[in-house]
Amino acid sequence: MRIGTTLRWLVFGIAAFVMNFPVLATLITALKAPGEVSRNPSLWIEEPTFANFATVLTISDRLNVYHYLWNSTVAALIGAVLPVIVAFPIAWAMARRGVGRALLFPLVVNLRALPLIIFAIPLYLMYAAAGLLDTRLGLGLILAIVNLPLALMLLVNAVAEIPLELEEAARMDGARTPRLLWRIVLPLCRPALITTFVFGFITAWNEFLFGLMLTTQRAVPMTVGASFFFATSGGGVQWGVAAAVMIVAALPPLALGLVMYRRIAGSMVAGAVKG
Amino acid sequence: MNSPRRENAVLAAPLVLFLLALLGFPVMLSVVYGLSETTFQTLTRPRFVGLDNFARVLGDDGFWQAAWFSLRFGVITAVLQCALGLFLAVYLAPLIRRHGWMVAVLIIPMIVAPAMMGLMYRLVLHEFAGPVPHYLYAWFNYSPPFLNAANVFTTVVVAEVLQWTPFAFLLFLTAYQAIPQEVREAAAVDGTRPWRMFWRIELPLMLPTAFVALFIRFIDGFRVFDNIYTLVGAGPGGVTTSMSIYIYEAFLRQGDIGRAMAAAILLFGAAFTLLTLAQRLMRRAA
Amino acid sequence: MNLRTLLGCTAAAAFAAVAAQAEVTVLGWPGGPEETALRAVTEIYNAQPGLAEENRVELLFTSRDGFFDKLQVDLAAGSTAFDVNLIATYSIGRYAPFMEPITLSDQAGTVFGDTVLSTMQFGGAQYGVPTDLSLHFLYFRQDLIDALMADPAAVTLYGDIAEQYLGERLAPKAPGEWTWQDFAANALYFSQSVNPASPTRYGTVIQMKNLLFNMMVFHSWPRSYGANWMDADGNITIDSPAYRTALEMAKMLYDAGATPPDSTSYEYAEANAAFSSGQVAAMIQWNAAASELMAAQPTTGTFAPPAGPEGRFTHIHGLGLGLNAAAENKDGAIAFLQWMSTEEAALAYARAGGAPGLATATAAQLAAERPDLVQVGEYASTYGFVMNGGTSENALSVYEAQAKEFTGYWAGTQDLDTAMANITAAMTDLLQ
Repeated sequence: MRIGTTLRWLVFGIAAFVMNFPVLATLITALKAPGEVSRNPSLWIEEPTFANFATVLTISDRLNVYHYLWNSTVAALIGAVLPVIVAFPIAWAMARRGVGRALLFPLVVNLRALPLIIFAIPLYLMYAAAGLLDTRLGLGLILAIVNLPLALMLLVNAVAEIPLELEEAARMDGARTPRLLWRIVLPLCRPALITTFVFGFITAWNEFLFGLMLTTQRAVPMTVGASFFFATSGGGVQWGVAAAVMIVAALPPLALGLVMYRRIAGSMVAGAVKG
Repeated sequence: MNSPRRENAVLAAPLVLFLLALLGFPVMLSVVYGLSETTFQTLTRPRFVGLDNFARVLGDDGFWQAAWFSLRFGVITAVLQCALGLFLAVYLAPLIRRHGWMVAVLIIPMIVAPAMMGLMYRLVLHEFAGPVPHYLYAWFNYSPPFLNAANVFTTVVVAEVLQWTPFAFLLFLTAYQAIPQEVREAAAVDGTRPWRMFWRIELPLMLPTAFVALFIRFIDGFRVFDNIYTLVGAGPGGVTTSMSIYIYEAFLRQGDIGRAMAAAILLFGAAFTLLTLAQRLMRRAA
Repeated sequence: MNLRTLLGCTAAAAFAAVAAQAEVTVLGWPGGPEETALRAVTEIYNAQPGLAEENRVELLFTSRDGFFDKLQVDLAAGSTAFDVNLIATYSIGRYAPFMEPITLSDQAGTVFGDTVLSTMQFGGAQYGVPTDLSLHFLYFRQDLIDALMADPAAVTLYGDIAEQYLGERLAPKAPGEWTWQDFAANALYFSQSVNPASPTRYGTVIQMKNLLFNMMVFHSWPRSYGANWMDADGNITIDSPAYRTALEMAKMLYDAGATPPDSTSYEYAEANAAFSSGQVAAMIQWNAAASELMAAQPTTGTFAPPAGPEGRFTHIHGLGLGLNAAAENKDGAIAFLQWMSTEEAALAYARAGGAPGLATATAAQLAAERPDLVQVGEYASTYGFVMNGGTSENALSVYEAQAKEFTGYWAGTQDLDTAMANITAAMTDLLQ
């Protein structure tokens, strides 16, 4: 048994190290002084310094990391919550009554396979007309579309997991559909809703192309803002600062994921079983 | 009066209206562009050319090269991620039961933005500034060229697998943990050994999860863009051009909007057909 | 908050919004010396007495990644978010339909010279004021070359290697006298895969990533052998002995290990990292890298790219600022652009870190602070070239196609004849 346990720890250690290696290396690079980065590629830092993080976290003429973080947070929240609201009612109808199973479901799910960037121009024109350009709401709306396929899949499966008897019992008590959904189905779907939200938030946070195309100044998200930090006066890539900004950009979703990971687990399997 | 049909319409309304409002016009315009000759200069005056763009796309070697790349990439990464994810989930499950924090550590890679991950790999594998070649040279006096034409496919596959295995891992872990304890106890009472337990009992129960995991990872691998683009771009001679990169470049780099839309429509059609087929198959299997 | 305060706030906000719209918004190239310099000159401009409030310049910077993609979408959709935007020689053709030509100040000709002004022209019209000039330097490690030339045994070995790979016995020379044959010989000598005793791992770095900018770095090579995209009659002449020679020489260096095996994924940042690490003896690279490379390797020298049978050439292109056709404040924008083309502005821009291409007389005024600008200006007027078709509407797409085909050849995924056939077909499509 002991050998078995040690072996398992070893496997865990290797897996954790190998998979997280780029993140570790980036963190280490972020703690190296600028001159050292090009001189010393090893994982051992000769003179650790927080200078790169200081650069990132200071508000300068053009670079305001807090502005980008806030924009990302708001847009990602919209992009994560909206799909849940929009998809939940029909998810129930699809699971229980087969509404839209043949056409709507595959259509939405397949949006995931499409590089949505092809809609950049019409979206841009639409947004310009509606005054949504360079707004957090505008960005949030398109992020919601990006998250819709997974949301629908997870919610349909979550509803299918709920034993029919519970609903039938409620029906017999005279509950009509809205009450049924609100009182019975929604609470039972909580794990799935949380998972959808967390995955949606992370995906929305990590979106780059739409963040680039649909914002200019006021609503620039962190992914785009991060690239502002990449250049130096020489026009080259200052890896130390770039590494620091990548770490800072990754922190919010990381925090969310690490806090919520227990809850996430619950509904993923629910989604799987009733594929 | 609550006729089911009206009710269904009300339930479907939020989704349908949302899709129509946001994608209705873009989809229409994309179809128009797909059937016309358009450039950035003639956005408002597309010239109708019928199925010309589709013919050009289907006759374009680059398109098939990209399709083949995406297919290979999608299948290989999906299989590898699921195999690794399954192994890690099942093998580490006993430890995880007592140390839940292990899950947190293992899912970090998939939380980082794929575009950032691509950049991180670019640094990590750089012959002069990256740690991997540094240590390889120190230990073996040799470091393979990770990004030359021969090795680049392997490199991007490995990068993708390492980032997204946690996704499959999480799926399988939960499925594994959801197997009722009674099933295991009953088998144990019958004297079933661990390997047989896994192969004959646990794995079959996780098969639905496996399908979903394979499917989602395949789709994501098929439409990969961010991490490949930031790591190697289109690749020498276009060897790492995925479908998404092909469409992106046709659209924004070559300004060939008609061709980009036609390719996207073809892509969507293919994915749609595949999914419907897959659903039918799964239904028949279940 | 009572009603009066609310009204007051609303009014103030509305006023601020109106005032903001009545400025001249300039979209510049972010994150480099160009940004620093632009900020500096903008401050000078805004401080001018008698400048109307609504003609004050506001600067806007977006992301460096995908900058031109976003600019394309913005311009095509008729964005009014900026009045003036950045343009580059190779993309004027693409953006011209959405921009308006301008007339520069009277001083422009004297300050910049005709060659540099032409980098901002398209279809005979002046579309912008040039702000920065990009061309290529040959960067070399002077210390290594001095050591080589001082060692008779090394000189013999150098000659042997040249004879073996290039069929001609060569002797090391000062980089200012190099031909491409010398460049190749030097690259081979300083590569450990050819000469295990070499002090550097690689003799050179050739940026072979499938990226359009790398084609700009490369094509001074074939140009010096007489190549051109099209001849005077408009025939596509890319499949020429000149291009083939240059491509084959580059491939030979790659196969011999004279450039890192990962070169097929190298662009600006990677090449600089390689050179900065001290493991590269010489390379062709953009002039913008000068300060970075010299800081990392203080014995670095610079010169124009090596010469070929038809002369010495360097690709040039300019960055500049032009007028958005959908601009809301055209008069203010034009006033700013004209001011940017005066001597006062150009000198201030240079002093603040920019790299304008200046006529010799103008550059001489900065000889003490910016000697590299003297060099840049001189090279631009003496060696600068633009391919026939290099400013056309589809120029960028031509570079893209070349990048794909030529890097494929270098990487070994296709042979030269296939690459040439493909590129000829592509360029015929794009340029005719």
